[in-house]
Amino acid sequence: MAAPAQGLAARSLLSHHRFRWVEAIPWVIAIAVFFAFPGYRLLATQILVLILFAISLDLIVGYAGIVSLGHTAYFGTGAYTAALLASNGWTEPLSGLVLALVLGALFGLVTGWVVLRTHGLTLLMLTMAATIMLYELAKDLDFITGGFDGINFENDPILGVLPFDVVWYSSNYWYALFFLFAFFCLARFIVHSPFGRALIGIRENVERMHAIGSPVKRRKLTIYVISAGIAGVAGAIWVQIQGNITPAVYEFELAADVLIMIILGGTGRLYGAFLGVVAFKILENVTETVLGTDEPYWMLAIGLALVFTVLFAPRGLLGIFEDIIKTVNRRAR
Amino acid sequence: MSDIVLQTRGLYKTFGALVVARDIDFSLARGARHALIGPNGAGKTTFINLISGALPATRGDVFLGGDNVTRLAEALRVKRGLARTFQINRLFAGLSVLENLYLAVSEHMGAANGMLRPAGARPDVVAKAERLLETLKLKDDAGKTVAELPYGRQRLVEIAIALALEPKVLLLDEPAAGVPSGESHILLDAIDALPRDIAILIIEHDMDVVFRFADTITVLANGAVLANGKPEEIVHNAEVRAVYLGEGNHG
Repeated sequence: MAAPAQGLAARSLLSHHRFRWVEAIPWVIAIAVFFAFPGYRLLATQILVLILFAISLDLIVGYAGIVSLGHTAYFGTGAYTAALLASNGWTEPLSGLVLALVLGALFGLVTGWVVLRTHGLTLLMLTMAATIMLYELAKDLDFITGGFDGINFENDPILGVLPFDVVWYSSNYWYALFFLFAFFCLARFIVHSPFGRALIGIRENVERMHAIGSPVKRRKLTIYVISAGIAGVAGAIWVQIQGNITPAVYEFELAADVLIMIILGGTGRLYGAFLGVVAFKILENVTETVLGTDEPYWMLAIGLALVFTVLFAPRGLLGIFEDIIKTVNRRAR
Repeated sequence: MSDIVLQTRGLYKTFGALVVARDIDFSLARGARHALIGPNGAGKTTFINLISGALPATRGDVFLGGDNVTRLAEALRVKRGLARTFQINRLFAGLSVLENLYLAVSEHMGAANGMLRPAGARPDVVAKAERLLETLKLKDDAGKTVAELPYGRQRLVEIAIALALEPKVLLLDEPAAGVPSGESHILLDAIDALPRDIAILIIEHDMDVVFRFADTITVLANGAVLANGKPEEIVHNAEVRAVYLGEGNHG
């Protein structure tokens, strides 16, 4: 695909896109976890879906500098699309995913068109308000959504052969892992494309992007729609693997948690989502196991971790890892 | 008329009660080397912002190549051949010099919408970025992040980005501002070497630079045009000497 005799400049520009062997690590771990921790498979599956959700958020926060506190608006819309489809008789799961992608993206287009006219605090408040309203709406429209109790539903086996497994979560795990991998590859391709580089330009210096003739609004809306579509898919998988849905898919807390996850892991590098979600979930579970669930100690733990990250490791856990690898390499030389 | 590439008519701008541009009529001919001078606060940068579209005018019109672009957004004026640099660097500080140029070139060549190929896969875009690195003698710094460069070299990146847009009109807002005097000649040589068919409007405080570079000078004071003419006319203009040159305000 590339020119036969690539110059230094082309190689340097293409270097981001090139696959590195370190990148295999998270996927190898994901496969190993399936066999090593069968007792934690529900948690592990949820982590995979949350990583997908976090990646969708990283596309707008980390690449285009659009900070949102309401990304559950699209996650929840995708989730309800899949759940309502299945509970109303259309039980084929993959078409549910496709429709969740489409409706998530469409909803992203409509809402993004409005909210992206704002930025900073206004944008945070608008996105937050949107998802809180959707949450209340989902609770109140109980004749459709089952209200607070939600709906239980069943999907057909995946591709007609692999039934969803709500006891051991084995097929569910591979289902989630497959789509995480597929959409991760898509996201990785996008961020290293010329379009993705232009997004980074918007994040780094939006005024300069205007001054080089970049259609900033259109670019932001495009990535917002893509991100909303992927969030919709994450939401759909989230409910499909559990066989039920409650208005919690629209919860503001979830939107805030995912934002915290990518800040913990490191924004703007996709792999930060993996580290952030895993660190968050482990911290939450360990604190609950050690200190109990009577008090929200885990919130304190996450809060401290967040403060530590912002103050001492602004590039997140991924940044710490990168620094360690750099130091080791330098010592080795 | 056809030789005028940029024109403003009655350009007027207020910030609240403060008038920062008073009915400015201005024109720039193809290939011109035009300097805009005036004391601090005269409204020079505001005027550039009005032309580029970074600021909307209160009233008056801006014409590019004969077309009225007053209602066009900044990015669309760029597409019509207007480029600018900033008085204070506005670069992508965390990215390499090469990536800075790549962003501008790929935007200009219509590559930046592409999602199907990795960045750097289009040989024509890369080749043009490389040519710019060479033109402005930035090749050795290509891989460095802009933030690592000394300020003078960052100023060269500013100009390189503007040139990447292949402008017909180039607005240079104090290109040598903040550059140590020992390094400023590199920058001025680079400006001297700019293609002759580009019309250049340069804001500059250093009168040696202005007289070396410009074939026409416009003097702004209090947001209004005080004088306009050839350098020798401006030097002998009593009003200009009174408000500006006479004060020894060489900024």
